[in-house]
Amino acid sequence: MTLRELLKVMTGALLATPFLQLFRKKEETGYYWQIDPDKCIQCGKCETECVLPRSAVKCVHQYASCGYCLFCSGYYQDKRIEFNTAGENLRCPTDAIVRTYVEDPYFEYKIDEEKCIGCGKCVKGCASFGNGSLFLQVRRHLCKDCNECRIAKVCPSGAFTRVPADKPYIFRHPPEVKS
Amino acid sequence: MNMLGVVQARFPAPEFDNYKVPLIQLENIVADVTPWRILLLTLFLVVGAVLFYKYRSRKGMLFLSLAGLTLFGFVLKSCPCPVGMFQNIAEGVANGTYVPLGILLLFTLPLVCALFYGRVFCGGACPLGALQELLHWHTLTIPLALDRVLRLIPILLLLLCSACAACGLGFPLCYLEPYLPIFVLNFATPLAILSAVFIVVGLFVSRPFCRFVCPYGALLRFCTLFAVKKPVITVKECVNCKLCEQGCPNGAVLPPEPDTSTATRRKGSRRLSTLVACIPLALFLGGLLGYFAAPAMSSMHRDVRLLRDVETKQQTLEVEAFEAQGSSLNELKARAVHAQNKTLVCMTLCGMLFGACAMAELIAESRRRREENSYSIDASLCFCCGRCYAACPLERKEKTHEK
Repeated sequence: MTLRELLKVMTGALLATPFLQLFRKKEETGYYWQIDPDKCIQCGKCETECVLPRSAVKCVHQYASCGYCLFCSGYYQDKRIEFNTAGENLRCPTDAIVRTYVEDPYFEYKIDEEKCIGCGKCVKGCASFGNGSLFLQVRRHLCKDCNECRIAKVCPSGAFTRVPADKPYIFRHPPEVKS
Repeated sequence: MNMLGVVQARFPAPEFDNYKVPLIQLENIVADVTPWRILLLTLFLVVGAVLFYKYRSRKGMLFLSLAGLTLFGFVLKSCPCPVGMFQNIAEGVANGTYVPLGILLLFTLPLVCALFYGRVFCGGACPLGALQELLHWHTLTIPLALDRVLRLIPILLLLLCSACAACGLGFPLCYLEPYLPIFVLNFATPLAILSAVFIVVGLFVSRPFCRFVCPYGALLRFCTLFAVKKPVITVKECVNCKLCEQGCPNGAVLPPEPDTSTATRRKGSRRLSTLVACIPLALFLGGLLGYFAAPAMSSMHRDVRLLRDVETKQQTLEVEAFEAQGSSLNELKARAVHAQNKTLVCMTLCGMLFGACAMAELIAESRRRREENSYSIDASLCFCCGRCYAACPLERKEKTHEK
């Protein structure tokens, strides 16, 4: 066998090694990026770090666990232009939460996805003072499925995980209602 | 304050009279395009090989690369592309994590093609290559010595990025991919500066990314060494007009090499034996360099950084999240030590491999080539653009004759 042939065989073996992965016992963790809402600390990096001009992360409302609060910590409709350091800065900066009257004294809160920028301010408020029915998720029709998610790299709580294609979202557990 | 906001019904859901609580409306995975990608890539590689070897057509290759740019770059989005996939594989092999079959196939297909037909992928299917091909205006020749040194960068990047991916430091190559802002049409990122630099350099230097950055190119180059079929400029008697050498902007056309005298041959063999004797030294030096670079690398690891911040009691978001999650400090310590050890091993190996590769490059440079009377193509550097075919007067004569 000449050196050239030996090198050829070695290259072939090298190319075949990744395929050994297929025989390995492993958990199928999936390939698509998603946020684990139980780990998320709403730092606001999802809004700024995505490669897209408008982040693929948006707020999701799990109506089933909503407390239909009269005072929603994310809802804020105001014509104010400037946001300062006071309470208004903890509300949705783009008026993306829409409130519709249901029946006295309850309102339904809906997220206007055109306006939502994924900053997570409402999520923080809802988690702190409410039921935690608002949470951030990577929206599948917007995400470019980058090989290296820029948000995942800087996420301080390691909330970004990869999920399989048949379970593309991670929902929160339904709340246990105390009787 | 409950930072993590573990769902707790502070406010039980009200009982409505006639209002149904709506369900969350979320779209599923839009479309898994991986099978399409694999199919298209195979098609492009086959068509590229046919156009390049059978029809020997420059125009055909240009149109093919344009189609590749639109399809793989803009329609199917550039990410994840075969260029960066070696990182996924390195991570999967080192940590035993899941690597989808689609990624494995996308990574291997161009390499297998290179084993048969050379770097058809670079000239035909790669959107990054096509973009550089289009945005090239005037060729500046790079000095030979500089070219040889710069050629080592892809190998270094290949080893370094693989080591990083294997150690859980992320995929650094994805931050070096200068054409991503163009494909996602977002110019507000810091990457856009890199993009601008590469485009300006690319106007004067042909394919700067392919030749001096692309680590996948280094892999393809290696596979092309064993290519079954290699491109040949002219099948007829070469008239040594030098047009093909001037036509190639990538320095892949080698001039004829007449038989050299015995004096230089003896000198050459002495040089070769010196180089071979230096291999252990290169391995040692490379390993040493990797060993000393490892602590700096591992300090970028998530767990190591977190441990340092926790121990120095810094108020970072990471520490906040760590405390809120209530994880144990001992577990974190164990994870950090594991990461540090892993980085040490990986970086030492990476340094040694780089030393070996650099020596192999040097030896290949000093090796005497076979006697050659006509201009030939160095297949491992040829991007299969077909410029030399278009420049060759014999080829043109034959083509007009056929018509």
